[in-house]
Amino acid sequence: MAPIGVDEWVARSGDRRDSGWRGGLSRIDARVGWWPRLLVVGLLAFVYGEFVVGGNVNYAQTGFNVVLYALLALGLNIVVGWAGLLDLGYIAFFGAGAYGYALFSSHAFGNLPLASGGVQLPAVASIPIAVAGVAILGLLIGLVALRLSGDYLAIVTLFVGQAFAEAVNNVAPGTLGGANGLFGLQGFKVGSAEIGSTLGYYWFAVIALLILMALLHLLDTSRTGRAWRAVRDDSLAASAMTIPVNKVKVMAFTFGAIVAALAGTIFAAQQSSVFATNFNAQTLILIYACLVLGGAGSIAGAVLGGVVVTVAQQLLSSPIDSAYLFYGILVIVLIARVRPWRHLGAVVAAIVGLGFAAHAIVGAISHSAVAGSPGSAGWFAGALRHFAIVPRGEPLTYGNILYVAAIIMVIAVVQLKGIRRLIAVVPTVYVGICCWEARLTLDPGITAQIMIGAILIVTMAARPEGLLGSRRVEVI
Amino acid sequence: MRVRRILSGAVGVMALASVTVFGVTTSSAHVAKVAAAQCKASIAIEAPFATGPATQLGLEQLHFAQLAVAMANKANGTSITLGKDDTGLNPSLATTRTNSIIASSAVAAVGPAGSQEVEAVGPLYAKAGMAFVSGSATLPALATSGANKTFFRVVPDDDIQGPNDANYIIKHKLAPAGSTILIVDDQEAYSEGLVAVMTPILKAAGFTVNHQSYNGTDTGATLQSDLSALATSQVNSSTHLVIVPWQSAGNAQQFGQTLQQQGKTVTLFGTDGTDSPGQFVIPGTYVSNFGPDISTSKSAVDKAIVKGIKKYGPYGAFGVPTWEATTVVMNAISSVCKAGKTPSRSNVLAAVRKTNISATQSAMGVPIKFKADGDLVAKAGYLFHISSKGTYVEISDK
Amino acid sequence: MHIFIQTLVTGIVTGCLYALIALGYSMVYGVLKLLNFAHGDLYMVGAFIGYFAIQWFGGAAALIIPVPLLVIFMMLVAGLGVGALGVAIERFAYRPLRNAPRIAPLITALGVSFILEDSVLLLFGGFTRNYNAPAFLPFTESIHIDGVPIDSVQIIVVCVSLAMMVGLRELVNRTLFGKSMRAVASDREAAEMLGINVDRTIAMTFFIGSAMAGVAGVMSGLAFGQISNIIGFLAGLKAFTAAVVGGIGSIPGAMIGGLFIGLCESFSSSYVSSQYSDLIVFGILIATMLVRPQGVFGQPPLQKV
Repeated sequence: MAPIGVDEWVARSGDRRDSGWRGGLSRIDARVGWWPRLLVVGLLAFVYGEFVVGGNVNYAQTGFNVVLYALLALGLNIVVGWAGLLDLGYIAFFGAGAYGYALFSSHAFGNLPLASGGVQLPAVASIPIAVAGVAILGLLIGLVALRLSGDYLAIVTLFVGQAFAEAVNNVAPGTLGGANGLFGLQGFKVGSAEIGSTLGYYWFAVIALLILMALLHLLDTSRTGRAWRAVRDDSLAASAMTIPVNKVKVMAFTFGAIVAALAGTIFAAQQSSVFATNFNAQTLILIYACLVLGGAGSIAGAVLGGVVVTVAQQLLSSPIDSAYLFYGILVIVLIARVRPWRHLGAVVAAIVGLGFAAHAIVGAISHSAVAGSPGSAGWFAGALRHFAIVPRGEPLTYGNILYVAAIIMVIAVVQLKGIRRLIAVVPTVYVGICCWEARLTLDPGITAQIMIGAILIVTMAARPEGLLGSRRVEVI
Repeated sequence: MRVRRILSGAVGVMALASVTVFGVTTSSAHVAKVAAAQCKASIAIEAPFATGPATQLGLEQLHFAQLAVAMANKANGTSITLGKDDTGLNPSLATTRTNSIIASSAVAAVGPAGSQEVEAVGPLYAKAGMAFVSGSATLPALATSGANKTFFRVVPDDDIQGPNDANYIIKHKLAPAGSTILIVDDQEAYSEGLVAVMTPILKAAGFTVNHQSYNGTDTGATLQSDLSALATSQVNSSTHLVIVPWQSAGNAQQFGQTLQQQGKTVTLFGTDGTDSPGQFVIPGTYVSNFGPDISTSKSAVDKAIVKGIKKYGPYGAFGVPTWEATTVVMNAISSVCKAGKTPSRSNVLAAVRKTNISATQSAMGVPIKFKADGDLVAKAGYLFHISSKGTYVEISDK
Repeated sequence: MHIFIQTLVTGIVTGCLYALIALGYSMVYGVLKLLNFAHGDLYMVGAFIGYFAIQWFGGAAALIIPVPLLVIFMMLVAGLGVGALGVAIERFAYRPLRNAPRIAPLITALGVSFILEDSVLLLFGGFTRNYNAPAFLPFTESIHIDGVPIDSVQIIVVCVSLAMMVGLRELVNRTLFGKSMRAVASDREAAEMLGINVDRTIAMTFFIGSAMAGVAGVMSGLAFGQISNIIGFLAGLKAFTAAVVGGIGSIPGAMIGGLFIGLCESFSSSYVSSQYSDLIVFGILIATMLVRPQGVFGQPPLQKV
């Protein structure tokens, strides 16, 4: 709840700056129109696809994932960001679009076990059919939403999402493929030309994204967009101002469903398969993270969120990149949060000193206790050999204790203030580095998940409205 | 302060730039390293060890693969590194990881674990000409469909295990003639495949087959509701045998305990997914598997594995085939090096096709040799009976 | 009849556990208007604490202390430990977001959930552990109703749950702390202005809610056997459902909601089909929500004009 007497303009006062580079940015921001920004996004996407990818399937796949999540975040933005309806079943629209496309591009309506028959429409026909079907689904869910508000809506939409995954896994396995899913899907074909590679789907998705961004911007600045924002802020006042609240809510669901379905068809075609496990809670959480991190309520925020979360995921899955990310975040947090220069210098010097000293002392006591090599890949291992205490072999107990100690120390640091906090930061950072080198690098998959969780917590604490969102006052 | 903000921004930009630069250069630098004198290469494993509903399976597969890499490096004098890619049993995540592996310098891959994932990534590996050997994807169509030209597996598919088990049940009269057999699937492809194969055989032998299903990914109270309901309403006086072809030994144990608690005495029959001497220990149960129980096996290979895997803790049935799959890849790379060539995807693929590991050298007690479509030539099968003390006793599966 | 009673027993046991977790959800929602998606993971941590307590005392087959003492010890340690963890999470993750838009704490809760689940995965591995309760609380010690055995574990679960629910109701309705909790839930600003220490009230609410989840975790380990790092997600989901169906923010609502869901699940699995039991339960719940949008015991949302 906002403090009494605070309204939107006051709440945003912290964002308005006139000085420094932020002031400069906000002045440029005010002058540049929306369409040039769209052009910039298009240019970046073009440059990435044309020059950076260069035949590397990994980069092509990452690029495609980025655009896919940006699309999904845009659709979710309509429902959650603009209309303020907490839809936890959004994944059902995505899945329904994917399955809808799959039904018309595989042997689903024919004989699945023998892989023959079925209806196989060209993409020009199957995409609109799938999207239209899901739009009707969105309409129905929207009608349900009219009776429910806030968290009650959240739970019902959550059911719908779960029910979709269950239904598609169990119901009509002869048509929907059951647990085996539908695979061997036909790709997007125009006449005889088929999009064959991930890069091709990347271009298709980028074009779809740009068109969608333009359409959504037009929608946002139209009466409908204003109606959505009015309903989000205070639906009673909105209905008093003759805004048809029910129609507006249903429209939000329908539009969100349409965008999700479009993303679903592109996803199904690129994967050339659909499985029920593709549409689980983990994916929904990622889409939400994209939207909220980027800034709910802003088109650019949704796209940026998609970029940030997908790239972070990709970076975290490669050991050397996740080491960079870890140390990079450590350095940035230190620089941003330790106030005067001399304090920062003192802290860094103390960490370095403590590290080498502790390593030397422990090494003198027991040689095997420091005989192991730091787990980070690349040049980190060499640089940290005499800094971090890594025992020989891979003793999990030592690492586990360090991990628990590191978490407790981080929590303690956040609670302390002033000089005590500065002093506490030193051993915390050192223990954190030792824990990373000795334990977290052994299980990179699990570490990636922990880092994602930590990133979510820290970014929300630092900037709850998201990167490009704006602070709002909520009437609860 | 202004300087601080500029500095933090600069650090951020530098970090991002260096990450991309290093990301690009490490892959190309790595390729150059491979050409060094000592047999150096890199392989990758795809398993659901960090996210998804099967982290237990995935971690077991990962640890056995790591052990296999260590053992083979020592035995062959090679220097092969293992990259770890988590797929969370999610085919789209598997696709992303596979593309990442293909773009890296890995010459072969182990996994993925699930049949769905193989369906999704098979064509990608085929296009890249890269061999991938799975230790747990048992869907028969994976090899026969022709879409996965570089797919190999070291386990027999469902079309072998299912009939084996069904025929054993019929021959050894595990259920009285004409009684009802309850067979429950856990809504996964593996389970449904086995059920689909076993049911007609049992029906033809005169049994009434009661086919039920529950959501195998449920946990806690929901799972208990499902299992309790199955025990209450589906296990009646005419049911003497319950077949549980599940992927979770823990669920099988919970089901067994629920049956005990409700006072119902039936015989349970589990398949390789439930084989776990540490978890599924209901006395009187039959459990079928592809490989021997390595903790009691006399073979030298198995003893070495047991010794090496100790530090990772308990394990079930999914680890040994993955060990085998990894060893196949390691041996293939080693043979390429011994022939004086640098390991590349094409020659490693050719070497994998020529794999010929004898039964004594294989951890699974059967020779490892592949057919043209990637399936195993040998038809393996082991059967265990759980004694009253809860230990696994190997019996003949004929 | 036999099937009916057995189904009823299972439904009540699972319902009690859902109710305990749902109570924690409801209490936290009441004071903070926050959907704490990490609550289920606190339940999971409680289950693990109980498991390690058993191992500490010799393991399920060879306990060195008497069983009643062990059970009480497990519940106490899990309750206190998870309660402390809940308070720490609140201070660390949720306090900075007291005045943020409602969707931000949702993401933070998801982040906390990731960290809890994956920390347990990192520290203890992915292998499912089993309490193996029948080794020290054997099935043979049971009472029989119409041939349906009700064993000691089930009786313990139901009794402890009821005791905790009654205790909580007394706490909320009769004590000063309960009054301050209700005050903060009703209007945080006004409560602060009346001299109630809001921070401390919220911390205590988190402590009690998390402690209940921790005890629920121990009891689920005793009743169901196997625990792993992912049991929290589904339990949290069902408990959230229970809290909402009963009327979110309402304590009797959470209890009734939990029992309702437990019985729904049990009966739909037994009588209809265990294959579609999840779908059927979802359907029943959606229908309930449509018929009574604010939940069974919930207040219709007041619209301030």
